[in-house]
Amino acid sequence: MTTEGPTLETLTHRLAECPADFLDEPRIERKGRVDVAAVVADLVRQLGGRAQRSDLDVFRKSDLMKCRSHFRLALVTCWLLGDSWFIGKKRFAVPALRLLSAGIVELASLIHAEKFVSDPDSREELVRLCLRELGLRPAGESEAQALDRLEATNTLERRKVIAATRTAQERTRKVREELARKARAEAEAAAKISRE
Amino acid sequence: MKKSFQASAISDQRARKLTLDRLRQHPHAPKWRAQGEDRVQADDLAWLDSFSRQLTRSRKGWGPGKPSESVLEWIEKARVTTPYHRARIPSHVRLPEDWHDLPTMTREDVALHPEHMVPDDADLKRMLVYRTAGTTGHAILVPHHARAVASYQPMMEHVLRRYGIRPRFTAQSVACFLICSQRQTVTWAATLSYWKGAGFAKVNLNPSEWPTKESPQKYISELAPQFLTGDPFSYSDLLRLEVPVRPSAMFTTAVAMRPGLKRRLVEQFACPIIDWFSLIETGPIGYACPQGDAYHIMPHDIHVEVLDENEHPVPPGVRGEITVTGGRNPCLPLIRYRTRDWGTLDFTPCSCGDPMPRIIGLEGRTPMNFRTADGSLVNSADLSRILREFPLVQHEFRQKADLTCEITIRPITSVAVDEEQIRTALQKALGNLPIELRQDPELGNELHTGKVISYQSELMVND
Repeated sequence: MTTEGPTLETLTHRLAECPADFLDEPRIERKGRVDVAAVVADLVRQLGGRAQRSDLDVFRKSDLMKCRSHFRLALVTCWLLGDSWFIGKKRFAVPALRLLSAGIVELASLIHAEKFVSDPDSREELVRLCLRELGLRPAGESEAQALDRLEATNTLERRKVIAATRTAQERTRKVREELARKARAEAEAAAKISRE
Repeated sequence: MKKSFQASAISDQRARKLTLDRLRQHPHAPKWRAQGEDRVQADDLAWLDSFSRQLTRSRKGWGPGKPSESVLEWIEKARVTTPYHRARIPSHVRLPEDWHDLPTMTREDVALHPEHMVPDDADLKRMLVYRTAGTTGHAILVPHHARAVASYQPMMEHVLRRYGIRPRFTAQSVACFLICSQRQTVTWAATLSYWKGAGFAKVNLNPSEWPTKESPQKYISELAPQFLTGDPFSYSDLLRLEVPVRPSAMFTTAVAMRPGLKRRLVEQFACPIIDWFSLIETGPIGYACPQGDAYHIMPHDIHVEVLDENEHPVPPGVRGEITVTGGRNPCLPLIRYRTRDWGTLDFTPCSCGDPMPRIIGLEGRTPMNFRTADGSLVNSADLSRILREFPLVQHEFRQKADLTCEITIRPITSVAVDEEQIRTALQKALGNLPIELRQDPELGNELHTGKVISYQSELMVND
């Protein structure tokens, strides 16, 4: 995040205007229309790189249940990274391919791709995630600000926080129950040899 | 060799069982209200041995200021693993440089949030729960641990040695009796693993607990505990009953012992009377120096400071609230716990040879007796026992010269209390004397110390 990228607004605005083609059904096992591997290969070329066949194998998998959400988010992300700012730099092919093939998989399993277009918070989250993976921060933000905002908007982090909160609540409940149970059974307490 | 070791172990187990039987089944044994156990496990014994060694080896003087490296290390863990500390200590606080920015905590914090005091990694199966004796302030639930409870034993042993006493604990001997004198309390007999299976009993001198009038004298003298623990109320009863026991020492705890009583105890029992400053929340803090009235700080693993009402440390020699950090209770890590006991700290070397700093002029808890409608005595511990059943932070109880009583209560914040129930419970103990009760949610706030005088009496019985 050491390098300044485009403004956040430019990219979130681009996401909001994502064409319907990029939200169409990805082709998996002869179902769907969009060949995701071809879209990715095209983007990588525009970014100044060249995807090997093996790089694209991940987008040719045929497990509908596992791959559909990933492929759908990959298409939306391809639209985002097709912004002229990235294309003009001609140096983001490698991190973009890494992001598309692995970096968005977990997020895709949590949130539907359409939401990254329709929902302002999700748009910001995806933009910030992409910028981080490309080593960039939004124009006009310091590294610390960008990191704080990334953490605040990060669904994965939020899920972790929520999960940790739930675990803590569960632990508190157990402790409270044990305290009450053992306080009732005062005589069970270990033999303390003096009073206080 | 192996056979001999096994035979010895079996013999010790047998001796331990015989000692326990002797304690429990003696013809003059009192009623036992519980099955006592020390709950010490094999790994605890190794830990206790190590703790005992450290009590001597890590004993060194320190000056005013920040805690030792080991206490700081302990805090760093506690602030991460304990929900209460996690929520209260700002992440920007760096130790030791920001030591004085650490917030203090009080008894009310433990009363209100006991479940948040237990660290995430504490083993709940081994957690114990005590209610405080509640002799002055109000009772609270204190999460505890058998290991921390058993650590009192090496500490007392260390202090006995400071007084020139070297007790010999065996599975055949009785180590200690905890003497109580209350209307009602839980009593038990047990053997103590750390002291090689030596016997222990908590007994209540209340006559209704014993088979005959002479039983307390016969039981205590025949079992011959090596030393006693108790409070001034119970020791005063022990004097009255003229129990012919010859302990090597008597630890006095819970409330301040007045000099007159101490003199009489020394005359009667011909042994040192050792003042012991300990709170159930913190464990032992200090013991009376054999050569003076001051209390040496007892364990090496606590940091003691004295604070003013604004939580600022006061210079040595200036009076303030004794505040404790550290300890070894894995279920209740205390960071800057304000004890509501007051005194000054003295870091100068002591002629007794113990390098640990001294607390001078310790004051806090004063015992008190009251009269019932028929003239018999009730002590403040009994009233505390009644009041602890209600959700109170603290209270002020006062008996006037005409025997009528007044009580002001400060309930735990946002918890409703049943005034009539409190009044009825107190009247049951005091023989239906008129009791005027009022609630004050800010009781103590206006005082310099924050600590109210929980019991006052206009009667002469306390003089």
